Amino acid sequence: MTHLAAAPRVLAALILGAAPAVAQPAYQHLRIIAPAAPGGGWDQTARVMQQVLQRARLVHTASVENISGAAGTIGLARFIGAERGQGDVVMVSGLIMVSAIVTNGSPVTLREVTPIARLTGEYEVIVVPAASPFRSLQDLIRTFKERPESISWGGGSAGGSDQILAGLVADAVGVPPRRVNYIAFSGGGEAMSAILGGQVSVGINGLAEFAPQIEAGTVRVLGLSSAERLPSLEAPTLREQGVDVEFENWRSLVAPPGISQGDLARVENTAEAMVRSAEWREALERYRWIDRYLAGEEFDRFMEAEDARVRSVLTKLGLGPGNTAPLATARAYPLLVLAGLLFFGGAALLAAIRTRGASNRPPSGPGWRPAALMATGVALDLALMERAGFVITSAALFWLTARTFDQRHPARDALFAVGVSTGSYLLFVRVLNVTLPAGLLARWL
Amino acid sequence: MDILQALGQGFASAITLPHLAWALAGVTLGTAVGVLPGIGPALTVALLLPVTFNLEPTSAFIMFAGIYSGAMYGGSTTSILLNTPGESASIVTAIDGHMMARQGRGASALTTAAIGSFVAGTLATLALTFFAPVLASFALRFGPAEYFALTVLAFTTVSVLLGTSAVRGLFSLFLGLALGLIGIDQLTGEARLSFGIPQLLDGIDVVILVIGLFAVGETLYQAWRHGRDEVEVVTLHDFTGMSREDWKRSWKPWLRGTAIGFPLGVLPCGGAVIPTFLSYMVEKRLSDHPEQFGHGAIEGVAGPEAANNAAAAGVLVPLLTLGLPSSATAAIMLAAFQQYGLQPGPLLFSSRPDLVWTLIASLYIGNAMLLVLNLPLAGVWARVMLVPRRLLFGVIMVLASLGAYSLNRSVLDLVLLYVVGAVGCAMRVRDIPLVPAVIGLILGPLSEQQFRRAVAISEGDVSVFLTRPISAALLFLALTVLVAPRLLERLIRRRTQAG
Repeated sequence: MTHLAAAPRVLAALILGAAPAVAQPAYQHLRIIAPAAPGGGWDQTARVMQQVLQRARLVHTASVENISGAAGTIGLARFIGAERGQGDVVMVSGLIMVSAIVTNGSPVTLREVTPIARLTGEYEVIVVPAASPFRSLQDLIRTFKERPESISWGGGSAGGSDQILAGLVADAVGVPPRRVNYIAFSGGGEAMSAILGGQVSVGINGLAEFAPQIEAGTVRVLGLSSAERLPSLEAPTLREQGVDVEFENWRSLVAPPGISQGDLARVENTAEAMVRSAEWREALERYRWIDRYLAGEEFDRFMEAEDARVRSVLTKLGLGPGNTAPLATARAYPLLVLAGLLFFGGAALLAAIRTRGASNRPPSGPGWRPAALMATGVALDLALMERAGFVITSAALFWLTARTFDQRHPARDALFAVGVSTGSYLLFVRVLNVTLPAGLLARWL
Repeated sequence: MDILQALGQGFASAITLPHLAWALAGVTLGTAVGVLPGIGPALTVALLLPVTFNLEPTSAFIMFAGIYSGAMYGGSTTSILLNTPGESASIVTAIDGHMMARQGRGASALTTAAIGSFVAGTLATLALTFFAPVLASFALRFGPAEYFALTVLAFTTVSVLLGTSAVRGLFSLFLGLALGLIGIDQLTGEARLSFGIPQLLDGIDVVILVIGLFAVGETLYQAWRHGRDEVEVVTLHDFTGMSREDWKRSWKPWLRGTAIGFPLGVLPCGGAVIPTFLSYMVEKRLSDHPEQFGHGAIEGVAGPEAANNAAAAGVLVPLLTLGLPSSATAAIMLAAFQQYGLQPGPLLFSSRPDLVWTLIASLYIGNAMLLVLNLPLAGVWARVMLVPRRLLFGVIMVLASLGAYSLNRSVLDLVLLYVVGAVGCAMRVRDIPLVPAVIGLILGPLSEQQFRRAVAISEGDVSVFLTRPISAALLFLALTVLVAPRLLERLIRRRTQAG
């Protein structure tokens, strides 16, 4: 939904005074792409990287750009398409992207990018609100086996790590994963409030997100998805309670396809230096991430294994809910809406035909001239934005729009046009660090 | 009292000259960036956050509160002056605000928005100060059934926005609902109406629809009309701000807007948009001259502007007391807390009370600063209406394409923008109201998801909506809103006939 670069470098420098010069960082400027909206796990990872890399002087400056959509697959497509061969840009990725590529039928896959390393992992927990009748995992599993649909599992987006874990648990205790009554919520906050308020029977989410609630005693942990107990958390694992599931949500780093050997070595070395820095350790602790650094061929093998595992779970889960109520499926409502649209559209059309001339249409003849001018401006904007660049295209759009309304001051309007488009370009790119195409003027801007 | 003492300490650390300077910088930056179309409060905060990273925590939080308040306020300026809402929470403001601006009353509209924001922001921060924990536990009683009922109530707003013909208004609503269908279904992950275009999987961004329908649609429509009929010439009537009459008509909407906005902001359901719709409906229903709504009624600016600012403060209630981010902006604030080693969650108040109370104190200061900053500017901004139309529309087109393109750096978004703009122009020509379409796009998906969640949790039992008391009460209220005015009308007519 958003695209932005997060460090308004110039703004910060204006306010705080320029940063002291650094001895030869590997990158003058590194762009980190978070294929998600601000606030989520990938965005957090990207922003932590930005800070750590800058503080550890591994890069001179770094910026975060969010390209969100479809669980990261929009960002992935963009990364493969627009950044091919670029040596100074990386993207955050992870398990959820592997899963989204399968569920969304993404035309691009992670095979097309250059894998760099796995960075972090995060365990998941299954919790119930403090007032829940379920005291232990056994209580829950007993009811779940008797009447699977009576247990509602609240968690993050459909096909994401939370739903995958719910499916794995069902499979392990002998309930068909399709019968999991999984209730997807769009954000961490939304799921959490449904769980705290007891709106769903069970909550399933990342440990980091639940940790403050667990500490405060508002939720009770029934099971942790790690292989062994954690020193930081007094809670049993799923496995020790007889549910043979081990699971973690990992995040990784990728580079664009087709980068040179030199660029590859540089990004690999920088990633390794980053995970070894004290700043990174500190950040891991703060966000309760586990260090899961894995690079090179081992990482490639891991990716292949994970791809196969995710595919098999998703196949078992099936797309869409299994045995949920007919009214809860995705099909009923669209039909209603489209029927309403046709009905009122038809009615409005009929009324318009019957009362011809009663609209806002002024009596005088057709104005082909303004229409042609506006259409030219719009067409140029669409065709040239990424080729000629923002400044040229916008100046043309401005000038043509102005001429649509008044043709007496072409020269003055041209001046205004250049002023407005250059001004807004500089404001967005230099001050706010939002990337806009520079196009033909790249050398002068 | 504990709270007063803690708040006092918060103020003590916030009111020093350098800290006030940070507050002013935050408010100014927040407003300046928030004004740009397509850059809503969430993005504004995200863009400006890194600026605060290098400050010590207290200064950072003070600046931060300023940015937050400023970003919330910024959107209304372009809404009123250019009919280009910066974000969805100021769409409703555009309806009457822009009409006022065209009648030369732009300064009044901006002033009532500024004072309304201040009143609402301050009252809501007071409520946040004293009642946060109680409110937060109440909010948890809202589940999918209650949220569905709430969206039904919000839908009734359409009844006052239908324009001259119910059929055309409902057509517009269904157009919005249909656009809302596009993309991946949140609950099942199925793609609907996306026609195999990956960029459509996430649906149509509200920002594109709003900028397209309003800014581009308006420009195309004016271009089409140009030279055919009288061009209205704007003469400014008020350089100084609100008249006595304006004050008289504004103060109640400010208070009602606050009363609607704050509690709804506390609920984790999409933040500040729904309260603005509800506030507009309430004001029109309660007004002595409902016919002025849509033609520059000041209540239609005062109420919704108060509502969206009160909601912004309400969002902080679940964030600070429960660690729950209920809007995109709140999620970004949460990330910011972590930068300072603050663990967001139920223990936030007890673990770092100093920072939390400084933040709350800064909200009061930020609100006051906003007022000081924006009152004198209202008269200056209003002069924007005197800029020659050709240049004004040029700027609007450039900013609209900039806003749409920078969302995802995608030309497809630009294509969508202009298609929506053309549709907006056609709708103006055929006198089809625009706002119902926006309501449909925003509320449709929310409503559908909550309905299906509620039914899935109840294993198909539809009676949950009536057996849960809050949900039943909200549905009853929605029914009353729809039916009561007609019943009353009939009653009055009968009585006048009898008398």
